Amino acid sequence: MDSRKILIVDDNADIRLGMHLRLKANQYQTFFAADAFSGVAEARKHRPDLIILDLGLPAGDGFTVMERLSQIPVLAVIPIIVVSARDGLGNQKRAYAAGAKAFLQKPVNDDELLAVIRQALGEPAGMKKPTLYDQGSV
Amino acid sequence: MTKPALRTSSEVPSNPSHEMRNALACIQQFGSILIDGLAGELSGEQREYIGIMLENAAKIRSVLDSELAGTDGLLQESKIKIERVSRREN
Repeated sequence: MDSRKILIVDDNADIRLGMHLRLKANQYQTFFAADAFSGVAEARKHRPDLIILDLGLPAGDGFTVMERLSQIPVLAVIPIIVVSARDGLGNQKRAYAAGAKAFLQKPVNDDELLAVIRQALGEPAGMKKPTLYDQGSV
Repeated sequence: MTKPALRTSSEVPSNPSHEMRNALACIQQFGSILIDGLAGELSGEQREYIGIMLENAAKIRSVLDSELAGTDGLLQESKIKIERVSRREN
């Protein structure tokens, strides 16, 4: 089975790398964007199965990305998980209203993020994909 | 290359909680990557030390969650009042 594709939209390169390493270890294929404009462009290009979206982005923000994606039928159906350092009070409500499947505030626990990803992708909740470490390949 | 430390007052983060959460996310993310062996196997001692680092990162997070939760709102509400004053009065 092909690995599921996840687009990570975050302007922090360290965050993108960390998420990539964690998701790759769980057999997900990752793509990246560092601003709102690229986020939409990369979604068009790769048609990911899921998008992890930061809110504070250059060239717009995460809400701009969600609004633009919602206007493109083939991209509007992609589940979005918002992972932001912004406070959850107003932003969480606004993110859900914009169509996000989940809102997680940074710093995010890896197990929690993976559980939310699996839920959004419709994968069995209890299924633990082995890490490279589990497989003894590192 | 590593980014230089903050140099001028204009580079001071306008939203401390937001900046700290991003930095803390990186510390936790890469700490857990190391401790899970995603970057290679660690010795017992190395694992112990990274465990200590992660425990302390978790403490910072709890402080952020509890004490800084309302600070951002306060900072946003605060306003600077500028007044002209005479030096002779000082």
